[in-house]
Amino acid sequence: MSHIHPTPHAKTNFGAALYLLVALGIALTGCSNQMEPAKKAITEIEMAVASAGPDAQRYVPEKLKAVNDQLSNLRARFEQKDYAGVISGAPSVLASAQALVAAKDAAMKEASAKEAAEAAARQAADTQKLTTDWQTLSEDLPKQIAALDSRLNVLAKSKNLPANITKDALASAKTDLADAKSSWTAATTAQSGGDTRNAVAAAQQAKQKADAAMASLAMTSG
Amino acid sequence: MADSKLPGSPPPSGDDAYTQWYEVKAGDTLWKIAKEHYGDGNLYRDIFNANTDVLSDPDKIKVGQRLRIP
Repeated sequence: MSHIHPTPHAKTNFGAALYLLVALGIALTGCSNQMEPAKKAITEIEMAVASAGPDAQRYVPEKLKAVNDQLSNLRARFEQKDYAGVISGAPSVLASAQALVAAKDAAMKEASAKEAAEAAARQAADTQKLTTDWQTLSEDLPKQIAALDSRLNVLAKSKNLPANITKDALASAKTDLADAKSSWTAATTAQSGGDTRNAVAAAQQAKQKADAAMASLAMTSG
Repeated sequence: MADSKLPGSPPPSGDDAYTQWYEVKAGDTLWKIAKEHYGDGNLYRDIFNANTDVLSDPDKIKVGQRLRIP
């Protein structure tokens, strides 16, 4: 009976193949072990980006783009099964993604503060204009009303009207002056109550009526 | 004939943008000015009374004088 014994050469080949199989097994196991952590790392980054919300695009678009570019790069490496590369690169991308929220919040806060400052400036300018308008009108109107009163008082004594004033114009002037006085009283009442906005509005009405009365009486100002 | 009481004196307080002025022309009298502005020359005293800082006599006004027309 004869026995077949492998040659030394065959023994060597068998050993090499076995080694390769073991190595491949280890490598595949290693890869398989790294795939899940890599996937998890990408998911974590995606969640961090999502948590920055749509406001990130508005307030920190450049930072968001940088993170998204890095994330795309990690995804590409994942697709290429470079799990180790994903795992090693993920922490810095995750940190950038998490920093997005803080950066967006800071930018939003800054924008909000800027808007508030601008609103306050507009309010201050509006208040200043009202104050200036009131000062002008409150200095002007009593003088204008006094001038109209004076002229109407003299005309009331006249037996005839001057050539440049009709009876209707005189009647209009009287009505407009009465309206001007009424509006001026409303204006001073509003101002006394601290309501400069309505005071100015009423004074402007009074001014319009007084101007109309002056025109009717052929009086000039300036 | 015409005369200023206080020539060159500043206008009395109360003059403002709404004070109505008239510059005396040749041939003017207060009666004529009152007739033109009020339709009644008899109201010339109102003009005189408003200009006592520059007029001492209603019959004495001079060309170029600026008078208040109340």
